Amino acid sequence: MHSDLLIILVVATALAFDFTNGFHDTANVVATSISTRALSPRVAVTLAAILNFAGAFISLKVAATIGTGIVNAGAITMPIVFAGLIGASTWNLATWYFGLPSSSSHALIGGVVGAMIAANGTAAVQFGGLLGKVVIPAFVSPLLAFVVAGLGIVLTYRLVARLRPGPAGRGFRYGQIFSGGMLALAHGTNDAQKTMGVITLALIAHGDIARNHFAVPDWVVISAASAIALGTYVGGWRIIRTMGTRIIKMDPAQGFTAQTAGAAVVLAASHVGFPLSTTHVMAGGVMGAGAGKRVSAVRWGVASNMAIAWLLTLPAAAAVGATTYGATSLFGSGFLGPAIIATIAIIALIIAMTKRSRELAARPAGANS
Amino acid sequence: MISATAIVDTHALLELVYVSLIAGVGICAVYAVAVLGVTRSSEHRRADRRAAAALYAALATIAVAGCCWAIVTGIVIMAKK
Repeated sequence: MHSDLLIILVVATALAFDFTNGFHDTANVVATSISTRALSPRVAVTLAAILNFAGAFISLKVAATIGTGIVNAGAITMPIVFAGLIGASTWNLATWYFGLPSSSSHALIGGVVGAMIAANGTAAVQFGGLLGKVVIPAFVSPLLAFVVAGLGIVLTYRLVARLRPGPAGRGFRYGQIFSGGMLALAHGTNDAQKTMGVITLALIAHGDIARNHFAVPDWVVISAASAIALGTYVGGWRIIRTMGTRIIKMDPAQGFTAQTAGAAVVLAASHVGFPLSTTHVMAGGVMGAGAGKRVSAVRWGVASNMAIAWLLTLPAAAAVGATTYGATSLFGSGFLGPAIIATIAIIALIIAMTKRSRELAARPAGANS
Repeated sequence: MISATAIVDTHALLELVYVSLIAGVGICAVYAVAVLGVTRSSEHRRADRRAAAALYAALATIAVAGCCWAIVTGIVIMAKK
């Protein structure tokens, strides 16, 4: 009975995390389309939500990496998965509160790894997998997006150099409907799979799936796709401002190039099973598109703040995941610990959101951040 | 001592790099050709140079078709594996 209640709580927490992932990452997908006025905010967010949903059905390679390549699936328990999710959600909400676009994906992986270390020690973590499939791609992917967007914008400007800016800009605005759509599809493909992988790990721990036969059930795919799409629709307006205008001011060609570079990198990574951060990739693409035009156009101060948030994400989420696991285990290995922690987390979330909305309401109209 | 090549899936990492470069830079360039074709075609049509307008329109059509083909092929490859 307690085990059944616990799996329901873990799945609900995972879907709530998936919702916050969509909420948090909406900015990556729609900011450039909105900032260049290719799409209105509402249309951009609706399109992104639909394509996020569709993207979740394309591939399951990233889910397999999360489920089998980072921690030892044989040592996983439901309280570990729960603590990992709380660690990731806490970090996500903290970065949302301060308007920093850090990585939901690395928060999730960090949270699960931290909880696993607290429960079983370092031997239960596949550090080779963590390094080879998460950490190294995490460093490579933003640089790759930067290079792709940089080369893309240089080529694009050469090809359209003699055109009048008005018609050319209109052409790239139309293009952004497709490049933004591809980016949303890529986001759904890579990010929804991380939650699928974590829920599948919990189902393995609960005994619903054999430990040596990793397979994601259909209901997990559908529910994860729905949660991320809903989160995307609700959106993260604060972070949209940071991504869309505070890194660089973009023209439609730059917006198109940044989105195309981001979509290409995230889709290629999903194909080979790397759980990338859409946030890292998109910021790399935005900066590449800016630097390809003029290096001084990029606001490197904002970019370095984002880089610091990224570097902190894995260890910070791991620390919260480990602490959460320690706190839940004080109440035994059953349902009580996670239930108490979940209640505390919900109360903390309500307080944070109320405080934030009061601060925003008290701000003069037009203030941005 | 574990070697770096044992940890890093070099094949997957290289695939990520070259697929991203080819797809990302390629689609940007081909779409820029489409924008060039549409804009030039419209300018020539207004100047009543019909042959040039048709040529640029054909270039734009081929470029847009190329972009669509690249996108659909990419999704089909991902969905198959």
